[in-house]
Amino acid sequence: MAEHGGGPLAGIRVADFTWVWAGPFCTLQLAHMGAEVIRMESMRRACVLRMLPPWLGGQPGLNRSGYFNQYNQGKRSIRLDLSKPEAVEIAAKLVATSDVATENFAGGVIERLGLGYEALRRVKPDIVMISMSGYGRDGPESEYVSYGPAQVPLSGMSQLTGYKDWPPMHVGMSYGDPNAGLHAAFAVLSALYHRERTGQGQYIDMSQWESTIALIGDAVLDYSMNGTQPPRDGNRVGHMAPHGVFRCAPAAGGSTSGAGAQTGGGLPEDRWVSIACGSDDEWRSLCRAMGRPELVDDARFRTLAGRKTNEDDLEAAVSEWTSSLDPFEVTQRLQAAGVAAFPPLMNRELSEDPHLNERGFFVEKEHPEVGVMKHAGIPWRMSETPCEVWRAAPVMGQDNDYVYGELLGMSSQQIADLTERQVIF
Amino acid sequence: MPGRAFEGLTVIECGDTLAAAYGAKLMADLGADVIKVEQPGQGDPARQLGPFPGGEPHPDKSGLFLYLNCNKQGVTLDLRESSGRDLLHRLVREADVLIHDRPPKKAAELGLDYEQLRSENERLVMASITPFGQTGPYRDYNAYDITTGSAGGWTWINGWPGNPDMPPLKAYGEQTRYQSGVNAAVAVMGALFWRLKSGRGQHIDVSAQECITSIIEMAYTFWPYMQVPAVRWGQRPIHPIDFFQCRDGGWIFVLCIEEQQWQSFVELMGSPEWATWEVFGNRIVRASNYDALRPFLEEWVSEWDMDDLYRAAQQKRIPFAPASNIADLLSSEQLKARGFFVEVAHPQAGTLKQAGAPFKMSGTPWEIRSPAPALGQHNAAVFGARLGLSADEMKSLSQAGVI
Repeated sequence: MAEHGGGPLAGIRVADFTWVWAGPFCTLQLAHMGAEVIRMESMRRACVLRMLPPWLGGQPGLNRSGYFNQYNQGKRSIRLDLSKPEAVEIAAKLVATSDVATENFAGGVIERLGLGYEALRRVKPDIVMISMSGYGRDGPESEYVSYGPAQVPLSGMSQLTGYKDWPPMHVGMSYGDPNAGLHAAFAVLSALYHRERTGQGQYIDMSQWESTIALIGDAVLDYSMNGTQPPRDGNRVGHMAPHGVFRCAPAAGGSTSGAGAQTGGGLPEDRWVSIACGSDDEWRSLCRAMGRPELVDDARFRTLAGRKTNEDDLEAAVSEWTSSLDPFEVTQRLQAAGVAAFPPLMNRELSEDPHLNERGFFVEKEHPEVGVMKHAGIPWRMSETPCEVWRAAPVMGQDNDYVYGELLGMSSQQIADLTERQVIF
Repeated sequence: MPGRAFEGLTVIECGDTLAAAYGAKLMADLGADVIKVEQPGQGDPARQLGPFPGGEPHPDKSGLFLYLNCNKQGVTLDLRESSGRDLLHRLVREADVLIHDRPPKKAAELGLDYEQLRSENERLVMASITPFGQTGPYRDYNAYDITTGSAGGWTWINGWPGNPDMPPLKAYGEQTRYQSGVNAAVAVMGALFWRLKSGRGQHIDVSAQECITSIIEMAYTFWPYMQVPAVRWGQRPIHPIDFFQCRDGGWIFVLCIEEQQWQSFVELMGSPEWATWEVFGNRIVRASNYDALRPFLEEWVSEWDMDDLYRAAQQKRIPFAPASNIADLLSSEQLKARGFFVEVAHPQAGTLKQAGAPFKMSGTPWEIRSPAPALGQHNAAVFGARLGLSADEMKSLSQAGVI
């Protein structure tokens, strides 16, 4: 059995009421740094992520979801049905031994459970508590319901993202969730830092909506200055050209249905490479690397302004070159010439990427039900307090004995009784 | 007045992109003294990026720069010169944090070397944000936002599903840089917390590629768990999760995560007969049969005005959302009630509304104390008052182009 290890937050305990993705992504950061994160879960309403694929081998099961297991690495799990008053008392006891409490229910739910900030600070006066609701805890829409995928359109990002003259688009993932989770982790750590220096806890009211708008600050200022809504323009940007994703030679043995298929073992046939030139120098290097030195002197492309004006022709010239090549070959040739290029990696390529593997990014820990799976790890390295995932994500209730027995001092008879009455459920 | 979270904490920002600038912004807005080091002459490249009032470029009026650099002190310092690096070392002696985003080779040239800086100050927490991290075969690859978005696995999953002719797509703005900036700030806070106990600083290596691979939702694990390749718009194994156009031209995002939300949506639609069909019986089969489901929803939505539908759905606790334009955000009653947008008065750019606090802390305020600095605005305050350089010394450094 792995030991809960080091990291800069060793000794910090988090009573984790969060679920779905945003909240658990916040507490994942804390777990990565060595905090003891204890998730309270219940069979009455299991975490949404436990009920979403991918499931190992396609076989559903509460402990088999890669989505859940990715974002709950290194945490503990207990079962506790918070709809029962006795469970609420137990949760409060856990908070009394904790440094941080986290929740991301819709606005108002945590107070109705009797576990709002006022209640928690009575049992732990210096608790740091964060609520991560969709819309924030006050205002006329504070009780609106929201999930991460809806934050993409709500925040304004969908109207800004997409192909030219196409409808507003998503960004491919529930971006509002991990972004809120990271901002929340920063806020919690700031509050812990303050508590360590002053002895004072505090309450953090995070609106996922607002933390997502923080990512389009330039577009907000464009409107403030000029009353204009920036148009969708695919992969193009104003300050670089070429700047795009270009088609490469089809994959041998790939399938044309790959790009749209939900399932199916075949790999996609379409192959692409991103290329971006941030200066005239880089453009000239690209021309030479493409074997088109004459383009260096082509008046249409000599300056950024010219390349932007003639961007269709510019992209056609680049595509003509990439379309017969493998994307990794393009990448090697261009990077050797100092030009930024990289293929859009798909999941298999990420998993097999030599660079990520050499950096030791992936985590392979034994999980009681799915065995050893290759999970994405921690995106930073610390020189003095190495961070590591000490254990795979928990199966539901994996830490009942430790938390109820060891931490809260209950006898095995008491635990059996609470289980019998489905308080521990 | 409650105290600021980072009262008395000094952060040096030596960035070239918005990654370091955003990481340092998070700290500046909670009260840290951030000293932003810019190259003499051109300054932070964000000064050239805009948007600009009336589209007229001006280094003190770039919207991106104004947004990212409130509450910071701006100094110019040429780190390519050894006298510039000496001054940086003197700044580092008094500092708590240094955050930068230069690639490894460039960082070494500019003296942004942890071993060297630690010898000046062993309490220094230094975060290096790079596209691919400090080690590994791609460490010296050239990369912009679209490059790291591609390398991290995001670009591949973004785009319109079922249109393999259209390229993988980047999200708006330099999102991989925002994400690596927040990750750096998170890791810096962990290191600062540990420093309270140990008295020691440390170095943090942040890889933007890894920051992205960490957040691509279920797209990554579909490979190890099911050997299913990731597809455009990630995997949407449940439905509906989609955009529809309303009668008034607005776009609504139709979303049902939990079964009771779908049931409420069916009620809102007047419980049509097709909704009882087995092929739409749960969220997973609705995804398998989405081609059949979509036309029903499209037709029904097209009879609504967008805002009416949004409110009607939320009344029934169905998590629909509008595809907001910026104007919608600025006029939102909810965001107004929370005071989200803040007005910042800038001597050159005027008074402008911008995005405010990403979270509200009850004990330590998020606040705007000063607008973004002009290039070199705080040279005298920092080099003179803080480091104790004489007027003559500053004059000669200035004449040599170092500051």
